Amino acid sequence: MFDKFIQFEIVTPKRVVLKDEILQITLPTRAGEITVLPNHIPLVSSLVPGVVHVKKKNGEDEVISISGGFLEVLKDKVVILADTAERAEEIDLARAEEGRRRAEELKQQARAGERVNFAEINAALERELARTKAVKRWRKLKNLE
Amino acid sequence: MANTRDIKKRIKSIGNTKKITRAMEMVSAAKMRKAIEAVLRTRSYANLSWATVLNLARANGQDGRPPHPLLDAVSAGSAQAKRGGVKKVAVVLITSNRGLCGGFNSVIIKKVLESIRKHSEPHPNPLLRKEREQAGGVSHEFILLGKKGQAVYKNFNFPVTADFPKLDYINEVGEVIPVARMIIKDYLSGQYDKVMVAYTDFINAAKQLPRVKQLLPIDITTADEYLGVVGQDPRLGLNKELIEEKEKKHLQSGQFKYEYIFEPSPEEVLNEMLPRLIEIQLFQALLESNASEQSARRLAMHQATEAATDMAGELTLSYNKARQAGVTSEIAEISAGANALAE
Repeated sequence: MFDKFIQFEIVTPKRVVLKDEILQITLPTRAGEITVLPNHIPLVSSLVPGVVHVKKKNGEDEVISISGGFLEVLKDKVVILADTAERAEEIDLARAEEGRRRAEELKQQARAGERVNFAEINAALERELARTKAVKRWRKLKNLE
Repeated sequence: MANTRDIKKRIKSIGNTKKITRAMEMVSAAKMRKAIEAVLRTRSYANLSWATVLNLARANGQDGRPPHPLLDAVSAGSAQAKRGGVKKVAVVLITSNRGLCGGFNSVIIKKVLESIRKHSEPHPNPLLRKEREQAGGVSHEFILLGKKGQAVYKNFNFPVTADFPKLDYINEVGEVIPVARMIIKDYLSGQYDKVMVAYTDFINAAKQLPRVKQLLPIDITTADEYLGVVGQDPRLGLNKELIEEKEKKHLQSGQFKYEYIFEPSPEEVLNEMLPRLIEIQLFQALLESNASEQSARRLAMHQATEAATDMAGELTLSYNKARQAGVTSEIAEISAGANALAE
């Protein structure tokens, strides 16, 4: 049915998160969410924290949360340079929720008090949000709930 | 002949030292393994980001717009050209926090001083020599990562602009962000014309090489100066010609094959990406340096353990000799006494 694949790779400074042949990928860029299909025109874009949704060659879905990074689309090749990335199956929902709650608390405190590293707290919050979102979407896909 | 008790004491103390050095050897061997893993994990990110920047850099500055300030090394409008050559250089020096790692720190510091001396001497090429004389010499400032780097100030009197604390375990890129931000800011504000990083490249457990590399401006024409670039890795045992050819091919294919779309715009993407590249390169330099430090320490401690074993062996020999001498003289005395009684 599909004879076109994309060589896909998502790496963080710490590891290669996923490297596979895929059919399509949906990701959150600065200008909005986009989907890349085979034969996409070369594109470079910066990514915002959010959920990356990948359809693999074998028909399986993969959901990955990222906290910003870059996207490079070449002919038949997609590379994501993520700051951090986690596959949804690796994320523990309870802990992700907990992390989000903590980040929100921190934000409240920061708002009340001094505004030292507000940007960092905000980034952490966005990252945690992306993680929870990724797990939820993953569970929905797998009909876990 | 020394007193047997004194010798015994020394043997014991050497034995204790040996235990310590052996323990340190084991510890650094374990740390080394971890550090090497970290280096290898970061490499693919470094490679890919470098490849992307190469592609981007070519797209940038082609349509008449000036190239990005961090990328620009030589063009007429560049910061360097405006200031009339390189006058102030910042060196990010990565050393260890602790000693007992053989020549690790002295080797890298020596390398840095050598390279400074080389750049301060009159250039062999007369044209460039004139240029350098007109520029009025180069001054160097240091940014330290690791406690032992303070030697550049203490022993050689170079000015130190900043001394960043270095953690023993580095696993987050976040730890180099303050350094990266500082050098980028100072470079753009014109405080420095060039930023170098000096670190120890990890080649294998027995071999580490001190390196001095240019961080800023990002120079896409000399890619082999960069960390962990595909095919540039001495660990893979590739020869230089092969690498150069590959690089050339890459440059050509990059020029003709890809017409990029940038979202939101080339400037914005580069604005975000180039600082990231600097961070990742610093990060990798730090990891390489860490792996090298641990292997240097493991080797030093291994040698210390061996030296202790040799020493203990020698002392045991002289202890046995002394003991035997004592026994012999006692027997001689006893037999002399017996002879005297018998007479």
